Amino acid sequence: MAIESLSLPHAASASSDRHALGWRLLIAGGLVLVLAALVSLSVGPTGLTLSDLPRALLAAYSGSGAPADVHARLVLLEVRLPRTILAAFVGASLAVAGAMMQGLFRNPLADPGLIGVSSGAALAAVATIALGSSFAGPWVRALGIWALPAAAFFGGFVTTIVLMLIARRHGTTAISTLLLAGIALGAIAGALTGLLAYVTDDRELRDLTLWSMGSLAGASWQKVLAITPFALVLLLMTPRLIRALNGLLLGEAEAFYLGIEVESAKLRIVTLTAAAVGAAVAVAGTIGFVGIVVPHLVRLIAGPDHRIVLPASALLGAVLVVVADVAARMIVAPAELPIGIIMAVIGAPVFLHLVIRRGGALSAP
Amino acid sequence: MICARSLSFAAGKRKLVDGIDLDLVPGQFIAVVGPNGAGKSTLLRLLTGELKPTSGQVLIGNRELSSFSADQLARRRAVLAQHTALAFPFTALEVVLLGMTVPGLQAEVGNARQVAFTMLERLGLEQLAGQSYTTLSGGERQRVHMARALCQLECSGTPPDETILLVDEPTSSLDIGHQLIVLDELVRQKRRGRSVFAVLHDLNLAAAYADEMVLLAGGKIVAAGPPSEVIQDERLSLAFGCQVCTNRLPAGGIPFLLPQACAAAEVCAVARKSAATYS
Amino acid sequence: MRRLIAGIAALAVVGAGTQVTNGWAAEVVDATGYIVKAEDASRLLSIGGDTTEILYALGYGDQIVAVDTTSQFPPEVSTKRKVGYMRALSTEGVLSTGATLILASAQAGPPEVVKALRASSVPLVLLPDNTGPESLAEKVRLIGRAVGAEAKADELAASLENQLRELANARSRISKPAKAIVVLSVSSGRALVGGRGTTADIMLSLAGATNAAASLNGYKPVSDEALIELAPEAIIAVRRGPDEDTAADIAALPGFKAIGAGDDVPIITMDALYLLGFGPRAPQAASELMAQLYPELPR
Repeated sequence: MAIESLSLPHAASASSDRHALGWRLLIAGGLVLVLAALVSLSVGPTGLTLSDLPRALLAAYSGSGAPADVHARLVLLEVRLPRTILAAFVGASLAVAGAMMQGLFRNPLADPGLIGVSSGAALAAVATIALGSSFAGPWVRALGIWALPAAAFFGGFVTTIVLMLIARRHGTTAISTLLLAGIALGAIAGALTGLLAYVTDDRELRDLTLWSMGSLAGASWQKVLAITPFALVLLLMTPRLIRALNGLLLGEAEAFYLGIEVESAKLRIVTLTAAAVGAAVAVAGTIGFVGIVVPHLVRLIAGPDHRIVLPASALLGAVLVVVADVAARMIVAPAELPIGIIMAVIGAPVFLHLVIRRGGALSAP
Repeated sequence: MICARSLSFAAGKRKLVDGIDLDLVPGQFIAVVGPNGAGKSTLLRLLTGELKPTSGQVLIGNRELSSFSADQLARRRAVLAQHTALAFPFTALEVVLLGMTVPGLQAEVGNARQVAFTMLERLGLEQLAGQSYTTLSGGERQRVHMARALCQLECSGTPPDETILLVDEPTSSLDIGHQLIVLDELVRQKRRGRSVFAVLHDLNLAAAYADEMVLLAGGKIVAAGPPSEVIQDERLSLAFGCQVCTNRLPAGGIPFLLPQACAAAEVCAVARKSAATYS
Repeated sequence: MRRLIAGIAALAVVGAGTQVTNGWAAEVVDATGYIVKAEDASRLLSIGGDTTEILYALGYGDQIVAVDTTSQFPPEVSTKRKVGYMRALSTEGVLSTGATLILASAQAGPPEVVKALRASSVPLVLLPDNTGPESLAEKVRLIGRAVGAEAKADELAASLENQLRELANARSRISKPAKAIVVLSVSSGRALVGGRGTTADIMLSLAGATNAAASLNGYKPVSDEALIELAPEAIIAVRRGPDEDTAADIAALPGFKAIGAGDDVPIITMDALYLLGFGPRAPQAASELMAQLYPELPR
């Protein structure tokens, strides 16, 4: 059949619009992120703004200087800059992890928390807080400020390995088994956490509560250094999963027919998700809703093609957390709101809306 | 091209597919028919590589199927499954474009969207290209997936006579008009040199369109050959456990069949014999 | 030779809190061993309810620009800006108060923020943890040195030490120490009780009681059964706010009912900061507690 015209007829162009919209979303997202980062650097309870940046840089370069310059350096370069970077990283990785989980489970409500990664990370962190003053003391002291982040990441990762072992039979990973195992592990983690609460001090318990609400107040260049390998791995490995994620949307059998090595893809998706969530939880405690809300919004605008969904989710997730962090430190300045609470305030209504609207377009097979 | 040699697949103690020998030849349309549970879909899944046989082998060319990687297979064969669910609101065009998810494929095809659109046109769906998949009827969805499978083969870079199209009950939720559209397309693909393997439930359509028919019952091939050989009273009655009456169309001599109303006692006898032979 | 040893020993004893006075600027060795140079006490940031109380007692209440949320006494403190909970500070938030000197309880956190504040140009003095009655005078003296009110601080410390001695005297007149527990709060049907190593424990011993929950380490929730085993003779209910009726909450728990709380076992209610803050009012609080536990004791 000959193709008469070179341009696509009207019916097809609706699709192209969405396609073009996707690329525009990426560009817009990038610009908004840069803007948000600048705002984050510029806004804070001390009243310093970007105009103080030259002074700060001068103080950093010369190594000392007038107290005002040192102050500017401390606030802008040692507090706000690493904080902005970490906020962007946390937002991007949680959003991408969410998008990948939703692609894997073929369900827009899937969340990394479901497969137990967050629970495992949280349990490890709780154990560190609880046992840090008793028998785990020497190790915790040796790791110093790193004890908690290292433990959280380790916990998330181990949980994923255990999950894969449980859910893999005869070389295949049944997704429903993974889901159920994740819920079971989450329940076990919750029980163990409760148990540990008996071992903890009142102070430690309060620390735990605060940690579970999420916070970027402890941001530092050390932490940025710690997450850099994770960020690099995610940046390099995630794009390679785009085809597999797209194929998996049709189902595992179909994905295989389309040439995707399904088992290997599933393993990589779960591992990358664990890495992303583990690292994010490690530096900022538990922050929810980013993984569900952001990919959903992206899909609403630009369709479910992962070539757009993954990068757009990363950008928009970063913007969301950076902006939420600015709110966290300004609303009750000089005190701070835990960022998890702000995310809940924004995210819960959107999540509810999703749940209510669910049906037809959004049900999983 | 693709052949099955003593292919068997057992689930637990039961053999779903038992010692099948089959050859798929370029430019040939083979229709597989048989009662429910005869192993038709299982056979298809073994040929696509989705299931691993418990004994016997599937050969593509002269190589074992298991030695091919997923993307190598995807360049040689496309599959249209019976049910494909899609959880997210793609447009029809985007679903067809998913046919190019095969690793390495999109980079080679310049005007991907154009090709996808052409496929939709072939199946009468050009008006629906920009519409959300979730708003389509069952029949329309089925045809969209057919377009996707065609897109995959078209863009694979493999010459048509080295490709296979495997189709599982493509006409199940279509009205007669659309059934014919789909079957016509399968014939068109056959004429281009592709090998077409279709599981069909409608014996008459199978007889009308296929070059070869394979009658499967109890996991074994009961009859194989051109439709005229396979569409025979005794054979079909035994396989399906009911009384049928076959005949031929005046023009062209295409065989067709109709279920025959008969006394309850007769029906029971046939059903019993069938159950005994093909349990 | 003996003189040299004595000299060195004297220096070692004086160790914590050595100062080099230069005008009024002081180099203070804080509780973690850091040497902090304090020059300007015009804008103080006080972290910790006890820290704030001590500053007011030394007459530096006006110089306080901001406090944490645990600082609730004296009442004037409610007008001060709050930097949040003492274990959840934020670096920039703290710096934005424009404080020239930060005095922080040992519990201040998180550790990364404390580290960042040390790196800032604002001097940060960390106070010692409450390990025993002597911690009180230590805190007072350290704060005094840091703000340049040494004389006043010594006076206050001496007065507090006096009060503690009086308490010790009173204790010696107790024939049979009461077994008591301090209940911090009641949540989800369980009482949070102060075991050993807590300020509650210190206060009980100051008041001449024995801690029935000494087998527990830190603040722990106890089940009804465990409560019966502890068999306290008196219960001290800690009230955190004017609306809280901890005593009623306690009396309602089945475990407490079983041991006769409210009848044979009296429930004594005391304000949280007053009893457990371990600030300048601590000896007074202990004395009050003693009076309630041993009403017949001659004063």
